[in-house]
Amino acid sequence: MSSDSAAAIDAVNVHKTFDRGAVRALDGLTVRVEEGEYVAVTGPSGCGKSTLLHLLAALDRPDAGTLHVAGLDLAHLADPNRYRREQVGLVFQLHNLLPHLSVLANVEIAMMGTGVHRREQHARACELLEAVALGDLSRRRPPALSGGERQRVAVARALANRPRLLLADEPTGSLDSASVGHVLDLLRELRDRESTTIVVVTHDPIVAAAADRVIHLLDGRVAENMAAPESTGA
Amino acid sequence: MSFLWLVGHNVWVKKVRSGLTAVAIAIGVMTVLALGIVTESIRTTAAGVLEVGSADFTVAQRNVSDILQSSLSEVQLGRVGAVPGVASAVGVLLDTERLDAAHPLVVEIGIQPADLTPFGVRIVAGRPYGATADGEILLGSRLAQDLDVRLGQRVTLAGGEKIVVGIYATGNVFGDSAVMLPLVPFQAWERQPGGLSLLFVKVTPGSDVAAVEQRVHDSSPVLVGIRNLLEFGRANRDYQLITAADRAATIVAITIGAIIVMNTMLLSLVERYREFGLLRAVGWSRRRVVALVLGESLTMGVAGAALGVGMAYVVVRILSRLPDLEGILRPTYDAGVFARALLTAAAVAILGAVYPATRAARLAPIEALRRE
Repeated sequence: MSSDSAAAIDAVNVHKTFDRGAVRALDGLTVRVEEGEYVAVTGPSGCGKSTLLHLLAALDRPDAGTLHVAGLDLAHLADPNRYRREQVGLVFQLHNLLPHLSVLANVEIAMMGTGVHRREQHARACELLEAVALGDLSRRRPPALSGGERQRVAVARALANRPRLLLADEPTGSLDSASVGHVLDLLRELRDRESTTIVVVTHDPIVAAAADRVIHLLDGRVAENMAAPESTGA
Repeated sequence: MSFLWLVGHNVWVKKVRSGLTAVAIAIGVMTVLALGIVTESIRTTAAGVLEVGSADFTVAQRNVSDILQSSLSEVQLGRVGAVPGVASAVGVLLDTERLDAAHPLVVEIGIQPADLTPFGVRIVAGRPYGATADGEILLGSRLAQDLDVRLGQRVTLAGGEKIVVGIYATGNVFGDSAVMLPLVPFQAWERQPGGLSLLFVKVTPGSDVAAVEQRVHDSSPVLVGIRNLLEFGRANRDYQLITAADRAATIVAITIGAIIVMNTMLLSLVERYREFGLLRAVGWSRRRVVALVLGESLTMGVAGAALGVGMAYVVVRILSRLPDLEGILRPTYDAGVFARALLTAAAVAILGAVYPATRAARLAPIEALRRE
């Protein structure tokens, strides 16, 4: 990834505290992620990984510093919902699928209110489910799927609105090793095919190794910023 | 998948809870409808007599509890007749009587034979009764048909057997279901010599009816003019009380229904914290979340309205067979009844869902997704 390409994420001296300043989640974090880069964020519990992800998803705002995604100032976003709808795809550790809806509807639900015609929404959801190899299971409900299949549905849902930035919080945390492989393959394909910028928060060294770069956080700051072992070795 | 489909689906997947909520709304709707139908029916029945006389307005005793119990005199009739702008005034004495089980509340109208034509009565068979002919009556055409009574036959009422000397028509359902008797003998039977219940006034052509009505009132403050059902409602204290009770019960029913809906929706909210958190996290606006919750509540409201109409129909039928209400309660089911049901259900559904919907929309996605 060349250093002069456009920055997908540009965080400068970002601070975020909780409990009226008693907990410093991010303490002057500065990081830059390029367009189309696949980055893993690692670090011990409480180092600020999830907080960073929440700030990038505009689910929270920084207390200080500047945070830009695709040129948008996240500290002063007028419509965070629209930003999440149009720019960001989110994958959670517990997939958070709606159990009473079909797999297909779980993907379609992310496209509601986007102005995309219902037929196009349906076609896009079918296409994504085919892409994650779940086309045959689109009528099933999440409780009838394995953990790995559910997480693939969650990835399909995150991609529904063609986000420029995919944020994943421990996406393989609840999966067996075979399923981890499937999800990682999926993320890599996405990066290669769509040039989507991917930020994955993980404790799993296998997941981190699949990324272009690993950002290691410690006490709310970047402790190490290095190319992933697999990337360097390739 | 459309938004409306999602709303319906969310209601459908919680069948028992949605069903019970719809029943709660239905009970509110039933209460409001049944009371409304009963109140309206009583008013229409009681006010029907006012529409018999083809008058510009009717005069009754002010502040009387039941307009049929209005007590006036022939002296007052004479004074009203002398008010400028009054072309004619017809005085009638009213009472009700039970003829048989099928006719529990027949209205008897004592009226001078000379006043029959000005009162809008047309003799369709036979002849008018004599002014002092105690044993003669006229039957309304509908009543005669119901009783299967023909000219010359006898009917027992007003203290004795009377001969039907004529059948009349007024063009008014209420009037054609009544009996007319000679005023003087009827006053004697009622022990009200010179007594009248209502005066039916016609104004001179070109006169302002409201102005004449006001002049009649000014001539004697104990008199009140009634031109329409609205004024009837104001003049009849019993009806005022029934209307007040109806309104109070409506407010109570809507409040209780709304509290039940709110309780259900709050329970649903707690169960669905993660769902709402997720919807917000994937970019759903607060407005869309509010619309989802309100939509679900309104869907249950529509189901409750349909159920409530059915329940109200059954309740009103039961009420109409009670001895105290037999003959008085003549329910009509028009578009207004269904509109009232829908409005009540919508009020219950929206009032009950506003707070839960607002809370759902205000959930912080991060917090909501962390909840178990």
